Amino acid sequence: MSTISAFIIATFTTPENIGVTPHSMLWLLPLVASISVVYKTTKMPKISFFHFVKESVVLFGSIVIFMAITALVLVAMAWLITE
Amino acid sequence: MEQRSRESHIAFLLVVGLVGWFVPGGGHLMINEKKHAFIIFVTIALTFAAGLYIGSIGVINPVGAKPWYVAQIMNSPAVAVIGRTTASGDYPVYGRPNEIGQIYTSIAGLLNLLCIVNAVYWAHLRRTEDAGE
Repeated sequence: MSTISAFIIATFTTPENIGVTPHSMLWLLPLVASISVVYKTTKMPKISFFHFVKESVVLFGSIVIFMAITALVLVAMAWLITE
Repeated sequence: MEQRSRESHIAFLLVVGLVGWFVPGGGHLMINEKKHAFIIFVTIALTFAAGLYIGSIGVINPVGAKPWYVAQIMNSPAVAVIGRTTASGDYPVYGRPNEIGQIYTSIAGLLNLLCIVNAVYWAHLRRTEDAGE
């Protein structure tokens, strides 16, 4: 087995070092992007590049904004309850 | 004759679903939607690979995380091969990498399930449109 292939396999057998920090929440962004792309693919019978990218970006933005608003409401509720 | 045509149509829908399960985007390729198939394959494969990269193959755990495994196996039957490798517990993963890896691989599987259903639905729709039903 070559060194390169051994290195590639090794990256999939040991987990990355991700701490429990606020920055780790950013891992949701690539996931939201893939959800947006796949969902729009299933919804559009004909795909043209610019229209598809526009639709996916709009959905991506909608999901992120909705999650941010939900997070703010939950933080506000937690603050009101604990104060 | 009509009965035979109906049976072959159901068989075709089953094949579309199965191919879509074996290879993400395969169902769309069978109904000649090459752009859709390419986008689905690349996106789901990348999401699944990202999950494995973050949490290692240990996130596929058919023993200790069965509900996640059910969603993960929707990616492809190949996940069962990884599951057999990790079932021995030789690839332990804990904490945030485990959570993120499981979420990525499971969401990739559920997205593939959505694509399978979509491909089967489109295959059925085209047949009924062609027949003028």
